[in-house]
Amino acid sequence: MITTTNPELRKRVEKLRSLPSSPAVLKPLLDLLRQPPDNIPLERVVQLVSYEKTIAAQLLRIANSPLYGRARPAESIQAAIVTLGIQRIEDILLSNCIGNLIPPEKWVVDPGVFWRHSFGCALVCREFAQRIGYGDPEKAYLAGLLHDIGIVVNSLAYTEEYRVVLAAAVESGRPLDEQEQETLGFRHSESGAILAKTWQLPPAIAEVIEWHHAVAHGPEGNPLIAIVHLGDLLCRLRGLGYGYEEWRAIDLPADPAWIELAKHLPKIASIDLARFTLDLDAYVVRITTLVDGIFSLA
Amino acid sequence: MPVETQKSAPTAPKKTEEQDPNYLKIRDVVYQECGIYHSEEKLYLLSGACKRRMPSTKTSDSRQYLELISNPATRVLEMRELLNEITIGETCLFRSPPQLAALQNVILPELIATRSKIGLRKLRIWSAGCSTGEEPYTLSMFLLEQSEKLLKGWTFEISATDLNDRSIETAKAGIYGDYALRNTSDLFKRKYFDPAVGEKLRVKSEVKAPITFSRLNLSDDSKMLFMKDLDLIFCCNVLIYFDVASKRRVVTHFFSGLHAPGYFFLGSAESLYQVSDQFRLVHLPGTTTYQKPLPGAAGGVKP
Repeated sequence: MITTTNPELRKRVEKLRSLPSSPAVLKPLLDLLRQPPDNIPLERVVQLVSYEKTIAAQLLRIANSPLYGRARPAESIQAAIVTLGIQRIEDILLSNCIGNLIPPEKWVVDPGVFWRHSFGCALVCREFAQRIGYGDPEKAYLAGLLHDIGIVVNSLAYTEEYRVVLAAAVESGRPLDEQEQETLGFRHSESGAILAKTWQLPPAIAEVIEWHHAVAHGPEGNPLIAIVHLGDLLCRLRGLGYGYEEWRAIDLPADPAWIELAKHLPKIASIDLARFTLDLDAYVVRITTLVDGIFSLA
Repeated sequence: MPVETQKSAPTAPKKTEEQDPNYLKIRDVVYQECGIYHSEEKLYLLSGACKRRMPSTKTSDSRQYLELISNPATRVLEMRELLNEITIGETCLFRSPPQLAALQNVILPELIATRSKIGLRKLRIWSAGCSTGEEPYTLSMFLLEQSEKLLKGWTFEISATDLNDRSIETAKAGIYGDYALRNTSDLFKRKYFDPAVGEKLRVKSEVKAPITFSRLNLSDDSKMLFMKDLDLIFCCNVLIYFDVASKRRVVTHFFSGLHAPGYFFLGSAESLYQVSDQFRLVHLPGTTTYQKPLPGAAGGVKP
């Protein structure tokens, strides 16, 4: 349920509908890719990708980048898909789709920084979900990847105001969402929620987008919100944030989201948080390679 | 700070030998025994240290070395040698910039606020296992820099202790070469050092003045009881040499020696997991620390 009452925000965000919509093959492709790997018919994926020339071309470019070090170039869509693997194709599709929403000059947060944060959060959420025994780690990955689409919305609908917000947050080392609230009167979680509805994203994901900065006020019974809230915090304190340091100390196990999660997933009490945090540092390397692979070659 | 700070890509991890499952097992043995953890991108440091140990242990591959380090008959002695290899070259001045940045931007302001409330204008810091002095001198320079800013009107003192007499003597001399000074800015070299023999530099007396060097065995309970009224404790890559029971004793002393809220810093890859649940692991930008919380704070310490 969307609770945003800011009519000005709603009006501006709804204008976004007039922008080019996502490629027609996106939905069937994502549905296909989210099947258990054994059930995914490769020919059907190849067929759908082939319909959309820009996606096909991008997959070929990335598959043939030095990142994959193929001895012989991938010359067919099928070779590119096999080289990249299903998970990476989904990453490329989704980021492509969100990236198409916004012309390059309108990005306020550097797109590389944004994607490192989004993919970083996706990986952290999946790993965290696994370690605390949440049943659907892949859903946690998707929620982590999409949780901040409101930042794209703000960049697009409030470009100049949002530059001021970011500059002020960088200057003070404050969390971005707090600065948004102060300067704009709403957070990216609210503007993201409007887009999530417009795009008809799955309700569990839309709830994460809307409530990841206010877990206590969100709906009950969706642990994804708390998982993404915590994964997001960890990323921001571990070099995968919004491109600046937030000067604060965070006691994660004392966070209301952690306490709420512990009610449903008691395994969280035994997690080795110090070790988990150190493991995240390896993600920074992986994510940077992935994001640079997608964007410097795009 | 510019938005570009995260742009520089770290070098990609080496692929082949770090995925050797034997090194992953060695990593877990080292972690369980010592609390020092090598994540995926740091695994090459561990495999490098193991390889340097292979000639003198007459082992020739990771499988044989894993056996040696897991075997109860050889484990204890070899672990000590391996840890020496792991921590070799770890010591230099200004070793952990994120730690100093977090001190400056988060922890000092908090300490100043809480201590001011009770009328204190003095900070007490302990460098436990100070080795040849790099850590206490770094802290002293860092705090001197703050003495006209955050710490205006405040004093500070640093206790620097080590088990090793020779390390203490070297520390007191305060003479360092290029390698120890590799992270020290030219500005600081000019401001806080005098030329010494050859190309070496000696720390100035104003940097030494707040520091008291002394020999201390962290396992000596009677001496540990005297380490009180502390605001910050640094104990980096020292507890890794202790068994779990001794570690628990030392950490309990640290806990009772600290004011609340006070902070206890370990080495960047060390963990108190299953050693102490009195401290809270706190995340700061790019680093973590252990906090002794105020009594009664949410999720606070057990009575």
